[in-house]
Amino acid sequence: LYELREERTMTPQVFTNLLSNILYEKRFGPYFAEPVVAGLDEKGSPYLATMDLIGAIETTKDFVVSGTCDGNLYGMCETLYKPDLGKEELFETLAQALLASVDRDALSGWGGVVHIITKEGVMSRELKGRQD
Amino acid sequence: RRKISSKKLQSRNQTPTSPNPHATTMTSFLSATAAVRSRNGEKCLPIHNSEGGATISVSFDGQNLAIGTGKYPTASYHDDVGIDHGITQAPWERRFSPYEFNGGTTLAISGKDYAVVAADTRLSSGYEILSRNISKLHPLTEKCVLGSAGCKTDVDQLRSVLDIKMKVYAHNHRKPMATPSVAQMLGNTLYYKRFFPYYAFNVLAGVDSEGKGAVYSYDAIGSFERTPFSASGSGQSFLIPLMDNVISHKNRLDEKRDLEAEEVVEIVKDAFITAGERDIYTGDAVEIMIIRSDGIQKELFQLKAD
Repeated sequence: LYELREERTMTPQVFTNLLSNILYEKRFGPYFAEPVVAGLDEKGSPYLATMDLIGAIETTKDFVVSGTCDGNLYGMCETLYKPDLGKEELFETLAQALLASVDRDALSGWGGVVHIITKEGVMSRELKGRQD
Repeated sequence: RRKISSKKLQSRNQTPTSPNPHATTMTSFLSATAAVRSRNGEKCLPIHNSEGGATISVSFDGQNLAIGTGKYPTASYHDDVGIDHGITQAPWERRFSPYEFNGGTTLAISGKDYAVVAADTRLSSGYEILSRNISKLHPLTEKCVLGSAGCKTDVDQLRSVLDIKMKVYAHNHRKPMATPSVAQMLGNTLYYKRFFPYYAFNVLAGVDSEGKGAVYSYDAIGSFERTPFSASGSGQSFLIPLMDNVISHKNRLDEKRDLEAEEVVEIVKDAFITAGERDIYTGDAVEIMIIRSDGIQKELFQLKAD
């Protein structure tokens, strides 16, 4: 509807706001989802945001995490992150952070998917992890 | 105590007596949530009124339900927390917890001929910092160090007990205890208090009799295992996956190589910077010890004090 009315694609900031409103609508019977938003805005700069299950937004410049092993992920990302990594390096960093974190969580695992978003497009790769 | 004869009920509440002689009458203070249960005939004795004194008096004699008849004071003898200390009616007990979490994170890593053990130096209680300079590492022998996070009083007591047992051992065997023996003794000492445990999350680090690095992980009741590394305390979830990746080389395709003690110390410092950022109970400084067959080296590394 937005795209029909505005005749342009939604920027990540607007999308994050929309998502937050949708979640807060269900304040007293929430969706059990804690989303993470990642994208490039109209100028091409990266945008990251996360929300809790009732839509409280947090935007950061470095990384956002969410899930049953979020403690593990915070530890991994905090240590491995460096600003201004290249595409391949960022993929490696993300993959290591994800795999190491989910291996220490009984409720997560069975592989992973990494999407690297650039102006040219989205590069998606599947990770093979421990199948337990 | 819950059974009150219908005669008594009559005089107090002026409600008609129940024709059923087997009816039990119940009078009690009930919080809103327990009121429904009581109305349905379930016996319930509230132990802690966590709803802060919003009580109603309910009496049910099997036939008639009298609510809030106003004969008994509601919340007037309660203190700020809304708990009646047994003065008025029911013996409300305040839940006393013998445990308190004083915070902290410990990390130990074993190497070829050394072991590194580190712990932050912050002591906290709730949101308050009690001290920025308390050591969580305790050398048990020249070759073995115990690091413990958890409840400080339990940790101190555990250490006293271990020190005494080790003195007795040294006296009987005419030599200091070897690290694997210390590990076993700590496990046994913890299990001794299986049904009222020491609130201590331990890591034991040292060199064994062959000179190789040894690290043992424990749970609160004495289950232990020799592992390449161990992290425990409030920041353990931030540190363990990192150690899996960097020390055990999991999910990595490049070749694993033995790390030098100095490299491991740098990794430990990075790890504690991370834990200090993301865990409120970890910070101030990290005390790092490198244990080798010829002695123990110490270092104090400053962290953010926020």
